[in-house]
Amino acid sequence: MDTFILIEIVAKIVFVFAVCLGVVPLLVWFERRGSAWIQGRVGPNRVGPFGLIQPVADVAKFFFKEFWTPANANKWYYHLAPIFALVAPMAAMTIIPFGSHLVIGDYIINLQVARVDSGVLFILAFAGLEVYPIIIAGWSSNNKYSILGALRGASQIISYEISMGLALLSILLVYGTFDLHKMVEWQNQRFFGFLPAWGVLVNPIGALIFWVSTFAETNRLPFDLPEGDSEIVAGYHLEYGAMKFALFFMAEYVAMIMASALMCTLFFGGYNLLPGMHALVDLIVSVHGFAEAGRQNATAILQFLSFFLKVSFFMVVMIWVRWTLPRFRFDQVVNLGWKILFPLALCNVVIVSIVMYSMN
Amino acid sequence: MDNLATLNIMITIFAVMAGICGIVMLLAKQPLTSALGLLGVLLFTAGIYGLIGEHFIATIQLVVYAGAIMVLFIFSIMLFNLKSNEHDARRKMPLLIGSLAVAGGVFGLLVATILKYFETPLALASPGSFSRQTISDLGGNSLVLAHSLFTQHFISFEAISLALLIALVGAVVLAKRRFE
Repeated sequence: MDTFILIEIVAKIVFVFAVCLGVVPLLVWFERRGSAWIQGRVGPNRVGPFGLIQPVADVAKFFFKEFWTPANANKWYYHLAPIFALVAPMAAMTIIPFGSHLVIGDYIINLQVARVDSGVLFILAFAGLEVYPIIIAGWSSNNKYSILGALRGASQIISYEISMGLALLSILLVYGTFDLHKMVEWQNQRFFGFLPAWGVLVNPIGALIFWVSTFAETNRLPFDLPEGDSEIVAGYHLEYGAMKFALFFMAEYVAMIMASALMCTLFFGGYNLLPGMHALVDLIVSVHGFAEAGRQNATAILQFLSFFLKVSFFMVVMIWVRWTLPRFRFDQVVNLGWKILFPLALCNVVIVSIVMYSMN
Repeated sequence: MDNLATLNIMITIFAVMAGICGIVMLLAKQPLTSALGLLGVLLFTAGIYGLIGEHFIATIQLVVYAGAIMVLFIFSIMLFNLKSNEHDARRKMPLLIGSLAVAGGVFGLLVATILKYFETPLALASPGSFSRQTISDLGGNSLVLAHSLFTQHFISFEAISLALLIALVGAVVLAKRRFE
């Protein structure tokens, strides 16, 4: 194997994982400060400026806590679950394209870790695997509350996976490809010469259903039934402490990043430049006098920046929703999933396919 | 080390892991361990499919088997809280010998076939019309598969989906009769 290609692959993997795991502490900080701001409190403000170093203090605390296992837990599964929880969303991150390509010398570097032929299905596969850590954790803890949380989590994730899959199907009909790069390129065209052809404008109902389903898939409020602090204490991760709890906590945030990145790629133009950034590219190129390769590299970096901004926006909205809406009861969650979202998604698929068929 | 050697090592590791998971599935006392062993077999086989470049089959394996069927297995094991069964079929000698003989026969046939084509694999000895190059020229694995599924094999595809629907309706009918 070419040494350059090997370095390229390793560098991309390290980059994606470093960005994901580096954003998690910031998100935790924002979640705590943001919730305080929404609820009219002060929030953590002692460690560092604006409490920005607070996550470091949290991690230090997690590391120095006692590494404790309940006596009647099934040890092997008890330790397996948190690892599984973090691995599934991290693996799904590998196929999100975060820029078009860089040009270095004769090499073209595709800004996506793995270009899988069946891109979107790969995401569905790993979204399906996200049920296992919840089930395994709840079952192995040998605790009534944990089992209840695991059962709730499994039924919730399975129910919403169906509407998520149908929403994906409706947008796949528009793009006509599984490849996420091609989807983003499709969204690069313009409607009426000025409006960006984002998926959300083509298929707004699909976007809405997909977005609601991602909330349920990542167990964020208002769909926090597997945890349900006021009913079943902490649900499936009740018996976990120290770093093992921190792994579950990190997994939730990585899943949030994953869901936001997917939302952005499928419905909000992916890494396409935000309006106004083309002028910025022209400015940079004219100032530095770049050739074609330099222009492409500048574009790619700005594309990553706009992708990052879009994903950040969705993550902020997820936190905003969590601290604004009250949580649902279990029957309300199941009713919403099966009686509203599922028929709506099915109708949407039929309508989109009729429109696409008549347009061709 | 060249590309093919690395691939071979990776596939060997995955195959050995799948084998270990299979043994775990067979020998486990707890039903959940058995189910998770089967999950391991499915995951590592999906890994092998992915390594040889068949991304679509690997993904479908993950979506259908690991993501849907195994979740239902584990969900029902957990819901009924199944414990290990002392009066296991495994402990009856004649049944054990019979099943071992059948499994050994199938395994022997597999080994014989593999050894026969070990030097020149069947796929290389008599290639079909879809080589890897033609598939990538036609626009990728899933596109070619979708085309042949919805044109050439459309009738059989629909017939199989009807058969599945009949099985589903039959299961509901049987379950209802037992509860009433």
